[in-house]
Amino acid sequence: MNGLLLATVFLPLVGAVALWIVAPLGRDAVRWAALAITVGTFICAARLIAHFPADAAGQASYAFTQWNWVGQVPSVNLDIRFALGLDGLGLWMVGLSALLMITSVLVSWDAIKDRAPLFYGMLLLLEFGCLGVFSARDIVLFYIFFEFTLIPLFFLIGIWGSEDRRYAASKFFLYTLAGSMLTFLGLLAIVFWAYGPSSGGEKLVFSIPELTSRLADHPIPMGWQIAVFIALFAGFAIKVPLFPLHTWLPLAHVQAPTAGSVILAGILLKIGVYGFLRFSVPMLPQAAAVMMPWLLWLSVAGIIYGALVALAQSDIKRLIAYSSVSHLGFCMLGLFAFTPTGVQGSVLQMVNHGLSTGGLFALVGMIYERYHTREIASFGGLARKLPVLSLFMLLFTFSSIGLPGLNGFAGEFLILMGMFQRAWTGASVELKPQLLAIAVLAVSGVVLGAWYMLHLVRRVFFGPLREPAVHADEDHAPIADLNLREILALAPLVVFIVWIGLRPADFLTPMNNTLDLATRQVVKEVDKLSPRVHAGIASPEGHRVDAVAKHLLPGD
Amino acid sequence: MPQDPITLCLLLIPGLPLLAAGLAALCGVIRLPLLKENAHWPVVFALLGSLAASAFLFYEVRNAQNPNQNTAASSAGFEKVVPLWTWANIPHAYDLKSQFPEDTGPRDFRIEVTLRADALTAMMLVMVTFVSTLVAIFASGYMHGDRGYWRFFAYIGLFVFSMTMLVSVSNFVLLFVFWEAVGVCSYLLIGFWYEKPEASAAGMKAFLVNRVGDFGFAIAIFLIWTTYGTLNFHDDGAISGILGQSRISTGHYVTGGLATAICLLLLLGACGKSAQFPLHVWLPDAMEGPTPVSALIHAATMVTAGVYMVARCTPLFMASPTAQLVVSCIGGFTALLAGLIALTQFDLKRVLAYSTVSQLGYMFLALGTGMASGVTGGMFHLFTHAFFKALLFLGAGSVMHAMGGVIDMRQFGGLRKLMPITHATFLIGCLALAGVFPFAGFWSKDAVLGSVHDKIHQLDHEIEHRASSHEVAHSPSPLATIPDAQIPAFERIYQILYYSGLFTAFLTAFYTFRAYSLTFHGSERIPPAAGHHAHESPLVMLMPLGILAFFAVIVGVALTNVWGWWIHGKDSVLFAQANWGQNYLAYFLANTPSLAGGLVQSTVSYHPEFHITVAGASTLAAALGIGLALYLYLGERSEVSFLWRLFNLEGSDRLTDPQWVTRLEQVPWIGFVTRRLRGWGLGFLVAIVGYSLGAITLVFFSAPLILLGNFISPYKASYNKFYFDELYHALIVTPLTYVARFCYWLDRWLVDGLVNLAGALPPLAGSLMRSLQMGLVQFYALAMVLGAIVLILARIAWVNW
Repeated sequence: MNGLLLATVFLPLVGAVALWIVAPLGRDAVRWAALAITVGTFICAARLIAHFPADAAGQASYAFTQWNWVGQVPSVNLDIRFALGLDGLGLWMVGLSALLMITSVLVSWDAIKDRAPLFYGMLLLLEFGCLGVFSARDIVLFYIFFEFTLIPLFFLIGIWGSEDRRYAASKFFLYTLAGSMLTFLGLLAIVFWAYGPSSGGEKLVFSIPELTSRLADHPIPMGWQIAVFIALFAGFAIKVPLFPLHTWLPLAHVQAPTAGSVILAGILLKIGVYGFLRFSVPMLPQAAAVMMPWLLWLSVAGIIYGALVALAQSDIKRLIAYSSVSHLGFCMLGLFAFTPTGVQGSVLQMVNHGLSTGGLFALVGMIYERYHTREIASFGGLARKLPVLSLFMLLFTFSSIGLPGLNGFAGEFLILMGMFQRAWTGASVELKPQLLAIAVLAVSGVVLGAWYMLHLVRRVFFGPLREPAVHADEDHAPIADLNLREILALAPLVVFIVWIGLRPADFLTPMNNTLDLATRQVVKEVDKLSPRVHAGIASPEGHRVDAVAKHLLPGD
Repeated sequence: MPQDPITLCLLLIPGLPLLAAGLAALCGVIRLPLLKENAHWPVVFALLGSLAASAFLFYEVRNAQNPNQNTAASSAGFEKVVPLWTWANIPHAYDLKSQFPEDTGPRDFRIEVTLRADALTAMMLVMVTFVSTLVAIFASGYMHGDRGYWRFFAYIGLFVFSMTMLVSVSNFVLLFVFWEAVGVCSYLLIGFWYEKPEASAAGMKAFLVNRVGDFGFAIAIFLIWTTYGTLNFHDDGAISGILGQSRISTGHYVTGGLATAICLLLLLGACGKSAQFPLHVWLPDAMEGPTPVSALIHAATMVTAGVYMVARCTPLFMASPTAQLVVSCIGGFTALLAGLIALTQFDLKRVLAYSTVSQLGYMFLALGTGMASGVTGGMFHLFTHAFFKALLFLGAGSVMHAMGGVIDMRQFGGLRKLMPITHATFLIGCLALAGVFPFAGFWSKDAVLGSVHDKIHQLDHEIEHRASSHEVAHSPSPLATIPDAQIPAFERIYQILYYSGLFTAFLTAFYTFRAYSLTFHGSERIPPAAGHHAHESPLVMLMPLGILAFFAVIVGVALTNVWGWWIHGKDSVLFAQANWGQNYLAYFLANTPSLAGGLVQSTVSYHPEFHITVAGASTLAAALGIGLALYLYLGERSEVSFLWRLFNLEGSDRLTDPQWVTRLEQVPWIGFVTRRLRGWGLGFLVAIVGYSLGAITLVFFSAPLILLGNFISPYKASYNKFYFDELYHALIVTPLTYVARFCYWLDRWLVDGLVNLAGALPPLAGSLMRSLQMGLVQFYALAMVLGAIVLILARIAWVNW
């Protein structure tokens, strides 16, 4: 399996080069080649997932490959490795990336006419970057992949985007770059702390698992830890994006080509959450525990605010972009609840959001290809004219609003359950009211989510048929329902949407140990900060806590 | 293939409709007209199969729980649990610290897809599959020729699958899953004719209002999880389920505020699904869907899910008398409110819809009594109501079919000759709904009102008992947690609810027979839209009507112990002896684990039998209602318009006419004074006083009365459904829409504005720095020297520190 991961990650890179070679053969050859490469990558990833040992210990990297990369610099003992490996967290992210890439290639099939070889090349480079980010086991390697993903997407938006593409591309690029600079400083601070005499390092280690275990034994002092946490936060929170650092996202989405939106929403946003789970939470548990209420407030603000702004949109794509802000708020909420249910729900929700929002962006692209507009007001009653497209739209909408039986429910339910558990039994007396408020507000976000999505569906797909006037000067084929290629682009997503909905256990079990390990430290810290309050149970804090508990639970 | 008949049935009942839904969808996807027109066959046959399986399951459960035949049935009732697969399992998700030692410890978040068979489930399954089979047969005629014929049957199959799963799962998460699944089927079916803007709007409204209810349900589930550390109904190994036999026998339920919170949140969910105040607003709009859907989903089955859930959670509710009181109040109030609205509606389906809301309110009223007779009585009413309300809706569908889609009762009338069979069956449905002896509704309505009666008795006993407190209670009383001071208040409220229930019975009879008279009596009027449809419906639609009418007649009396020999007292663990007039379902349901033990057991002794006084009172109320309705609406009565004027506060504006001020002068002594004043040249005083009086009247009397007369007269309030839609729009929808727009504005100008400001800083700094690069060598030299001095000083300071 070790070689397989290497092959999976590098196949798109090799493929990008291969595309450059077949480019003279024309657009057809290029896109078929791109499809073959993405399908091949997905098959490799699927094999990796299928052979993942369910009882793998959290830290042990599956399919681990490494060699010394930057060797001995004379005065400093640098230990930078080229290390790739998968655990229960990276596993699903790699699978999701590989899956969404096939969709991306298929939705670009007809839409991209201009410089197709370059486009597909960029797409494959982007896949290379994403797969690399999620399987890198070394901080330098991670950071290189982390920044590398920006470049192909910058070009995808900047070259093949809509009217305002240049502004959107540079805003996206600069905003995320500015944040990730701070993240890099934070990561370096972690490395240097682990090198310091207090943690007994004799060489500058960049290996992620090793740093995690070192920091668990020798935590960074509190003040510094918070500073480092904030530095990491800058990059990751912008990437997520966490409210109020989200404004680059709707712009980038609206301007990006369909494939760009699918990848941006489906994969790239997850890097932020992934970063929190990989670095901030396990390496800086005390800071994470202290900052938990703030992070939760930001998350829930994102949930409500994203939903409300989505409600006010007149452009389908921007609406879905804002819905991403809301959904990622759920992911962050589950993560920062620091309960097993919440964290697992959060990771599952990352996958779910990738599937449902990826599918929704693909569908918006299909509508745009037909009508050259995304104005909600110019549509109506498309269900009669485009029944298959509408069926898919309804399915992805149901998935997005967390309808039971589909994937979104499993994630949201676990997240909210985890959050509620934290608020009700895992918080100190002072924190309990505000955490409860957060939990209840988050649940109400589910109502709002159903509102804006169903409102969209109603306006665009139901009611009497209304279509925008297609310009007469272009020689358009009559507007037809989805063709086989488009169905094939969406069908794999539907398979997983239903699968996760019916048996989330298949997806939760592999991530169990990894997430347990990643959050074990922080859970301890949070519990230390907030002694368990439960009615009728004498708490270590004595009478005061008990009295307040009684006050909160009258008569219990 | 499972050998065990119960397991097999449990799998077949939801499995067949799901399979049929797939086949029906396949019929539509394959573009053959022949297949599309016959898409109903798989669904009808599957539902027949499910019905047979349900009947068999009912029989098996009855046998299994009969202690005479099966020693396995314990005193905690009978249940059989069939695990299928693990939905999610998160090990060690929670360290539960509970006041109950057996609950304390680490818990896995382990959710299994598990089916259960017990009396409650078996009863619901029989009802659901029976009604859905008939509705599917009816719909194959009603929907004939519709473009979406196959789609309709695929949705119906999906719905029956979800509904049967809803009543047979054994876990709160799965209950929630199918709770929302039936909601989405309802959404799809209400918006079935999606090109009608009203239909798609109604579908969305139904879904969103239900989501508000689900908001409460979800939080209730979270609370249950954090309190009990499991979400299973049944016992799973060492972990005792929420409604499992071991917990019921130990009685380890939390009480007090937490119990009340859990129950009220559950109730919020139930209010959404079962259209109870304040979430009742979606159901009347849901009538935009095809009529068979209204009959199946919005009358007989889905809307009873809330009642089922509350009945299932009886042990939880028994732990909080306050929550039970709220359940009763919500039910009683909704019953009254919906009854009042139904009085004035002209849309036949909407009358029936409000009637459904009202009858569901009755069921909650009974459940909220917390008596064994109340829970079983509520379920009994649910059972009979499914038959006669489905009958009424299908009858309305038959009328609508003949009238070319017109359902406004002002546009047609006198249809009894045109549609004799529809008329006859509709009349039977009306009699059953109004609660006339011996139709089904009579028996179940008596059970409902009787249970409130029992509750009052129970509270009486409790007061007596507490007055003579030297006696020791034999069994723990569910009322034990109510403080002494509150007991009389509880009793007073239940008394009010009892009389309001009786009044609602009068309203029910009145609006039912008003609708009946308007539709089937008077001169024959047929709207032009009817065209050539204006004839009796085809046999395929009349047959279900006939069958349902048959059951609407007999299902009440057949399930009531009037025959004496029909049941044996030992059939039930809850009711030790058979009482005359007690419904058989009560004996059957009493073996459900939720009802077989715990506090509900202690309420059995309060007259679990037929209440002749209650029956007399409710029959009198019904007779009054029917008599009044028939008197007013058979023939052209002038009293109708008189009543209309009366309740519309017609003429109230005349009371507010300030002309009376001028008439004051005609009173002799006032006239005398004013004449004198005028005589003295002080006429302006008279004018001032007169005008002020007029102004005062206008401001303080006319305005409110005009407002009253024009907007909120009793008639207008009822006709406009007490303005709940408008209220919710003004209080929730519109403000949120504006907040949303404001947020978007904020997003563009403030949040993004700050980002852009930050982005503008580096270029600004750059342009400032650029001005330093002036090319003047002397300046550079000076800057260099100054810089060096600063550095040296800094170094010195550093060293000397």
